[in-house]
Amino acid sequence: MHYDPVLAWESMPTLLAGTATTFAVLLPVLVLGLLLALPVALMRLERGGKAVFAASYIAFFRGVPSLVLLYLVYSGLPQLSVVRDTFLWTVFSNAYFCAWVGLTLTHSGYMAEIIRGGLAAVPPGVVEAATALGLSPRQALFRLRLPMAARYVLKAYQNELLIMVKSTSAVSAITLVDLTAAANTVFDYTYDPFTPLVTAAAIYWCIVNIMRIGFTMADRKLNRHLARG
Amino acid sequence: MNAVTQIAVPSPVRRETPAAVAISIRKLNKFYGGFQALRDIDLEVGQGEIVILCGPSGSGKSSLIRCINHLEQHNSGTIRVNGTELTHKASDVAQVRRQLGMVFQGFNLFPHMTVLANCTFALRLALRLPAAEANDIAREYLARVNVQDQAAKYPSELSGGQQQRVAIARALCLKPSIMLFDEPTSALDPESVGSVLRIMEDLAATGITMVCVTHEMGFARRVADRCVFMEKGEIVEEGTSDRFFSAPSTARLKAFLQQVL
Ligand SMILES: Nc1ncnc2c1ncn2[C@@H]1O[C@H](COP(=O)(O)OP(=O)(O)O)[C@@H](O)[C@H]1O
Ligand SMILES: [Mg+2]
Repeated sequence: MHYDPVLAWESMPTLLAGTATTFAVLLPVLVLGLLLALPVALMRLERGGKAVFAASYIAFFRGVPSLVLLYLVYSGLPQLSVVRDTFLWTVFSNAYFCAWVGLTLTHSGYMAEIIRGGLAAVPPGVVEAATALGLSPRQALFRLRLPMAARYVLKAYQNELLIMVKSTSAVSAITLVDLTAAANTVFDYTYDPFTPLVTAAAIYWCIVNIMRIGFTMADRKLNRHLARG
Repeated sequence: MNAVTQIAVPSPVRRETPAAVAISIRKLNKFYGGFQALRDIDLEVGQGEIVILCGPSGSGKSSLIRCINHLEQHNSGTIRVNGTELTHKASDVAQVRRQLGMVFQGFNLFPHMTVLANCTFALRLALRLPAAEANDIAREYLARVNVQDQAAKYPSELSGGQQQRVAIARALCLKPSIMLFDEPTSALDPESVGSVLRIMEDLAATGITMVCVTHEMGFARRVADRCVFMEKGEIVEEGTSDRFFSAPSTARLKAFLQQVL
């Protein structure tokens, strides 16, 4: 078993196509997951029915493995006649759509918990100060609480993001050829497992580290007030 | 008196109701769950009057001051600020808050914003002023509390006294006619206390209305028109600062003054 640079070079188009699929799955999931997580996190901080709903949502989607969720969305839902016999069949038979739905649900569960934690860490007195200065609750949320929460949760978000990058490989279970699946295809044709998988790992490593550098820069910019203090 | 000219008189908002009354509180009751924190509070504060609230910890001073700007909701009774009754309706709350500036014990500056941005934040968002105009106003008030040199710094780079003065400037930027202070110097080291009290004395001399919770009895004696003593959620005694300190009529106030003086 040795690393074969020629094979690595020749399989590069396949692996990069897989990388493209990985991003095509990942980017919408990150956006949609964040948008979905925000109202859930806000409901989680209220009292009564909304909080119970939000807590159940978070517990459920953090608890169910994303692979199981992907199978359920891709193979399970079309068994229901409301999906099978309506226009929904068209969308749910699209593997990309199912990947987005499944991973977004998982991601939003984790993100809701992260955002909730960030909002809870904002000192109430600071929000009161803004309120006393005449900001509306909406302004206080979007212009003060969320920007402050974002600064607190950078580290947790970075972790979640890196885990998401790698968990996109679950989508090969529903026929999508992402980076991991592409490496596997090369293995199938060449009987060399080592070269394509190590190359794929290197590509993941690059993606993850570019993101890490991005986070370091964001942290430097957003948390300037801590650095100088 | 040089100090008098340091802070401009914020234009008092005058309304149709008795012109002389800034804050009028009648039969105010406040509960936290089953616990009654304020009991039948009656208090009137005239325009331009400096009222000091004192009393032991837990007597309801913060609750009272926080009810006035609706950071806490009162359960019964009425609060009027410059003639506007403070109901729980958002529009009334907003109208009342526009008249009030609030300074907290813990400063409560926005930690991720520079000193200047702290001061312009509400000007830009609540009053929707353009940035340049907001900056001018902020710099003017920062100069009045002697922290103009710190405008580009973050709160964490300032001393406690400087932070509290920024908090005062931040509130003054919105040109309130009434300032509420809740133990503004209690979190400060002794050297900083003086710098904040001096600013407050200057402010008191400008004709602004002030309600101030403080344990600084020397300050109270110098600036107060009237002192109010609270205990267990009730106003026990109130009077002009002369009479309050030299001839307290209740045993409870006497005991309290003996402790703090
Ligand atoms: N948010 C709250 N929930 C429950 N009890 C409170 C709350 N805020 C204050 N209290 C109680 O109300 C009483 C008065 O508190 P406070 O107004 O803070 O007094 P002071 O400012 O005079 O020390 C105290 O017994 C305090 O424990
Ligand atoms: Mg208090």
